[in-house]
Amino acid sequence: MPFNRPRFVTGRILRNEGRGEIFYRIEATIPEPVRFVPGQFAMVSGWPGNDPLLPRPLAVFRAGGTRGKGKVEFVYKVVGRGTALLSGLHPGETLSITLPLGRGFDLDREGRTYWLVGGGVGFSSVFPAAVVLGRRRAAFEMFLGARTREHLPPREWTPGGKTPGTIHFCTEDGTAGFHGRVTDAVLERLRRLSPESASRMTILACGPREMLREIAAAAAERSVSAQVALENHMACGFGVCWGCVVSLWDGDRTAYRRVCREGPVFDAREVVW
Amino acid sequence: MVTPDLSVSLGGLRVKNPVMSASGTFGYGVEFTPFYDISRLGAVVVKGLSLAPTPGNPPGRIVETAAGMLNAIGLQNIGVERFVGDVVPRLEDAGATFVANIYGKTLEEYEAVARRLSEVPSLGAIEVNASCPNVREGGMAFGATTGGIAQLTERVRRCTGKTLWVKLSPNVTDIASIAKAAEGSGADAVSLINTIVGMAVDHRTRRPELSNVTGGLSGPAIKPVALRMVWEAAKAVRIPVIGVGGIQNAADALEFLLVGASAVQVGTANFRNPRACVDILVGIEAFFREQRIARLEEYRGGLQREKIP
Ligand SMILES: Cc1cc2nc3c(=O)[nH]c(=O)nc-3n(C[C@H](O)[C@H](O)[C@H](O)COP(=O)(O)OP(=O)(O)OC[C@H]3O[C@@H](n4cnc5c(N)ncnc54)[C@H](O)[C@@H]3O)c2cc1C
Ligand SMILES: Cc1cc2nc3c(=O)[nH]c(=O)nc-3n(C[C@H](O)[C@H](O)[C@H](O)COP(=O)(O)O)c2cc1C
Ligand code: FES
Repeated sequence: MPFNRPRFVTGRILRNEGRGEIFYRIEATIPEPVRFVPGQFAMVSGWPGNDPLLPRPLAVFRAGGTRGKGKVEFVYKVVGRGTALLSGLHPGETLSITLPLGRGFDLDREGRTYWLVGGGVGFSSVFPAAVVLGRRRAAFEMFLGARTREHLPPREWTPGGKTPGTIHFCTEDGTAGFHGRVTDAVLERLRRLSPESASRMTILACGPREMLREIAAAAAERSVSAQVALENHMACGFGVCWGCVVSLWDGDRTAYRRVCREGPVFDAREVVW
Repeated sequence: MVTPDLSVSLGGLRVKNPVMSASGTFGYGVEFTPFYDISRLGAVVVKGLSLAPTPGNPPGRIVETAAGMLNAIGLQNIGVERFVGDVVPRLEDAGATFVANIYGKTLEEYEAVARRLSEVPSLGAIEVNASCPNVREGGMAFGATTGGIAQLTERVRRCTGKTLWVKLSPNVTDIASIAKAAEGSGADAVSLINTIVGMAVDHRTRRPELSNVTGGLSGPAIKPVALRMVWEAAKAVRIPVIGVGGIQNAADALEFLLVGASAVQVGTANFRNPRACVDILVGIEAFFREQRIARLEEYRGGLQREKIP
């Protein structure tokens, strides 16, 4: 039976391919199919031994499969020891995976237009939202940014031509698409938005904190609702260590909330930037 | 072969097996019900409770280190009232044996928390976290000296009829005398070790990794220290000793039992494997079957000092 409550499962790697040394895409079979909300994540480890000790949080990129045979996919960028070890694993080897975790994007509001914004590897958590919205024939546009052309997600990974959304690629060096930061592309469009479009608009964003902060500020100014997927160092990923907290507004006071449990997706207005 | 008898008495609280969770790594216990039936554990030890809800330290609370991690959570918790009102019924429903870990910034706060918890009939035991800084003594931990631990134990002892465990800090010069002081002041058992104070800095940003600068080291990195301290404490006292520190698998747990622990608590291992406690329990059972050991007592404290001939 498909599951949507957290489970600790063993995955067997089907493929683990590097793309231009920038992104890896790892696919594994798991005992049962998992149902997840875009923006939800998993805690993943696979290397032997106790060092590094902790599993790594990765957004669920895609999941599927049939009864008795599930599949899950992650996209990751090698940034340190854990992700480097992950990139060295071969098909047939095992992964330890706890999933699905956290609170994902709220896509359940009718009649809204969505902008999906991904900075760097942040596309990994907005792609699944594009898939869901595409299936629903909801209106959306996707803005994906990277430093240079090679750092953009490969075209064949994007949800595909059948989905109704448009994709705007942005590169800081101008080698592909909009010349500039994805943040600037979004801010420019926000400025040109009519008030009634703004009121129907929801931005879903994942990427570097500075990008999220600027988008949140601009969205607030135009009264556009925005949901941001935050990152933080995590030990458990399922709410039991209180290691991953961030400051959120709670009325006119602030409170610490767990990114892994109350997040990783938060209403941008709640975040203490 | 029949199922080995793993039950053990921990100073008044009899548990059906020696595997428990370690405080602060297991939430309030109920978070683990999606992963397995928590009533299978000897006991669930919950996150440290204070009198009022505590916000904890600013972000920058955890950092991974070699085979371990540092934490400076700052004891964020929901406070004893909400624990009793919201969590206890759920732990009861889950059929779990549960133990409350408590702390305070003053002796009076410890007493107040202990008093409130004594009114909870289903509570198995109180575990006093002695690693907390005493605000009236310049922030030195209650458990840092024999005098401090004796006073803390005595004061809490006087306000509760519950089984009382005292959780010892490893940041001391002589753990045996600390354990003895707790025993002499009314502890029914001691648990050790809590985290070892450590620090991590970034040589490029020139900043500490934790907002609190220092934090508590846990995980496999501390196991040899924990094992040595449990061995020393077990030799020094007659009350049960509960071994904690770096336990990742059944072999690690058995090592603690071998050097004299009556039971173990599993902490950081839960983060990588949410099923760690129950996996360890199954592993201990399998080992006893394989070795034809009928009762935990046959194995416990059986460290052999002479060379294998
Ligand atoms: C909810 C969530 C979803 C994520 N999804 C993805 C994804 O789909 N693809 C992807 O490439 N990355 C994702 N990340 C970031 C990813 O977790 C880190 O890049 C990764 O943990 C780095 O591990 P490392 O050992 O390679 O790096 P190191 O720097 O060696 O890691 C050291 C420690 O810091 C932690 N850490 C370092 N950077 C981050 C970070 N940005 N966020 C959280 N912890 C960090 C590590 O987990 C580890 O505990 C996500 C993070 C979060 C919180
Ligand atoms: C994130 C975290 C929070 C902790 N919180 C508490 C606590 O509230 N009270 C306490 O007595 N010990 C606390 N501890 C200490 C553990 O219970 C345990 O003694 C220590 O981590 C060593 O065991 P381990 O290596 O198996 O984790 C905490 C440890 C960690 C890692
Ligand atoms: S990572 Fe442990 S509570 Fe969030």
